[in-house]
Amino acid sequence: MIREFSPLCFKTLAAVAIGCALLLAPTFPANAGSSPAAANEMQPDAKHDIEIVDITGRKVTLSHPASRVVLGDARHIMELAMLLDDPVAHIAGWRQDKSLDPARYRLFAEKFPAIDDIATVGAGNRQLSVENVIALQPDVVILSLLDAENPATEVQLQQLSEASIPVIFVDFFSHPIENTEPSMAILGQLFAAEQKATELIEFYNAHLDVIRDRIAQANPERPRVFIQVHATPQRCCASVGSGVFHDFIQAAGGYNLGQDNVPGIMGNIGLENLIALDPDFFLATGGVHLRDRGGLVIGAGVSQDETDRSFAQLLSAPGIAELRAVKSGQVLGIWHLFNDSPMHIALIEELAKRFHPRLFADLDPAATLHDMQARFSPIASDGVWWSDAPAKVE
Amino acid sequence: MSDSIAAHHGQRAARRVLLVVALTALALFGLLADIASGPSGLSIGEVLDVLRDAEGVSRSAQVIVWNVRLPVAVMALLVGAALSLAGTEMQTVLENPLAEPFTLGVSSAAALGAGVAIVLGLSLPGLPAIWSVTANAFVFAILSLVILQFAAGSGPTVVILFGIALNFTSGALLALVQFIASADALQQLVFWSMGSLANVRWEGITLVAVVLALTLPFSLRASWALTALRMGAEQAQGFGVNVPGLRRWALLRVSLLAASAVSLVGVIGFVGLAGPHIARIIVGEDHRFLLPASLLTGAVLMSFASILSKLLVPGVLLPIGMVTSLVGLPVFILLILRRGGDMS
Repeated sequence: MIREFSPLCFKTLAAVAIGCALLLAPTFPANAGSSPAAANEMQPDAKHDIEIVDITGRKVTLSHPASRVVLGDARHIMELAMLLDDPVAHIAGWRQDKSLDPARYRLFAEKFPAIDDIATVGAGNRQLSVENVIALQPDVVILSLLDAENPATEVQLQQLSEASIPVIFVDFFSHPIENTEPSMAILGQLFAAEQKATELIEFYNAHLDVIRDRIAQANPERPRVFIQVHATPQRCCASVGSGVFHDFIQAAGGYNLGQDNVPGIMGNIGLENLIALDPDFFLATGGVHLRDRGGLVIGAGVSQDETDRSFAQLLSAPGIAELRAVKSGQVLGIWHLFNDSPMHIALIEELAKRFHPRLFADLDPAATLHDMQARFSPIASDGVWWSDAPAKVE
Repeated sequence: MSDSIAAHHGQRAARRVLLVVALTALALFGLLADIASGPSGLSIGEVLDVLRDAEGVSRSAQVIVWNVRLPVAVMALLVGAALSLAGTEMQTVLENPLAEPFTLGVSSAAALGAGVAIVLGLSLPGLPAIWSVTANAFVFAILSLVILQFAAGSGPTVVILFGIALNFTSGALLALVQFIASADALQQLVFWSMGSLANVRWEGITLVAVVLALTLPFSLRASWALTALRMGAEQAQGFGVNVPGLRRWALLRVSLLAASAVSLVGVIGFVGLAGPHIARIIVGEDHRFLLPASLLTGAVLMSFASILSKLLVPGVLLPIGMVTSLVGLPVFILLILRRGGDMS
């Protein structure tokens, strides 16, 4: 019963030991120069200390404007691009789980080839490789409110503060209407680009105020709106209860049905519930990420043709095709990536126009978007940002 | 004649002691390698400088080694040791080579506990929020093992059947919790159940270390009885072993070990199953050697899985539960095949 030990075990152990040595080989840096050089310590000058209160109310003091940052969400390069001539030069590393779509990445890469050299500091499930961040020695790490509310972030924040790397939280996502202005102001302070930030905030507020004031004055009846996010014909229907698109719908004078039916930010509503709700408007968001899932394809670098085809497929799905809103053409396909950028002001205008055509007849959302790209974006992307129901595909 | 038998026996024992010492060295090497490896490209020299507290070490290197890498490396060793030790005891007292804490529903119960905290926000009162998920997972894991205890008197087959029933029940309830979860809570829960060392804290490390230190002496004290049980329950009774009592105490130790490990780092499979088998192949069935050896094989497995989880995808820390299964499995199967598949 008790087994004899065999020489095999020694061989196995030896093999394991050799394996270890091989495993470790990659960690012996062949490029000894890759270790982070000591950051050029600028003499802190009390007169020029930058005091920032971030979106969570934490106070952060920097001795000089940020020149190298780590982005918790790679797509926040769009917000940096609104303030800086060369946003890529300011980004040392970024986390890839909320990244740019391929089309806009390509446009950035054409203009700023160095974008390919930005280090990855994590991907998937909001994991941040603190070790990589520390090794990059950035002036500051920019995270989003999603991270602030995630219990797993706490350990990472502790480690970063041990390494004296400040963290700043911004938000264009969880509470876009309240937090876009202060977040832009924070970034303006951070990069000493206050003037550009102020211009953007003024532009944004001018457009938002028109909608806010008219809705407050006219107090029109709010249409009942259902929004299917990441829309695919099967597996109906993911919707939002709070945050991003909920806030856009409410700001535009609609009533988001998800708020009564979806717990938290995102959740599912069964097809039967949707039919019973009988919404006045049916909205759907999509993007190139749904191409392989047969969902709504829309956004940067997408042709109207492809959007029409995929939208027609969605609208002819069983159940959805029977909705009163769909039959009467009260539908809109929307690019999902309005969800994390001040560009959403144009979408809110478009929604307001749809919900209250007479009240907002004079708005021109397409022009707003065009102006914004021209004034505040280094890249001009073609694509479909929102789209009507396609003509009947027989 | 008897002299030569005694001499032979002594030789064999000496060789096993040597093997355990070799495993200890390998575990220490694993710990150092884990501390020395990572995505930021610190050289081995720099790491050693930090460990020696040499002059002129950069602050960032210090933080990387002490605050980022060390907790993960230590936790990997401890969790591997705890799971493997628990697996060994379980396989022996249930007389089943496939028994391990997770095949008997401990992990799905813990995941259910985590889900109840993450999705429903229900947790023990008076705890800081950062510990609510861990505490829930721990309580549920312990509860599942308490249920197994009830079956402990009725023989190993009943315990295993109970365990399988528990596994499915927890799994179904977890699916229900997932079904009503919001997307962000669901993402957190899925990630938790993958098992990860990314966010370990010293408090958690201390907890696992204390549990190991408390249970190991009792395990070792029972090693003679456990070895006797490998001859079969009737044989062991004949030697005067109180088999039901042995089973009960062993399951209690297993509960504490498995529950503390899974509640702190999530679900990490394979180690509790393979660690003991690899140890058996190396030192045989004498539990005086098998228990420490399996503790060490588990620690070594986890240590190397931790290194791989950092290096497989540059800049991304993979959940370690995936790595243990994906990388460990081929090695394990190779070992089994070379032994001719005799795993009883």
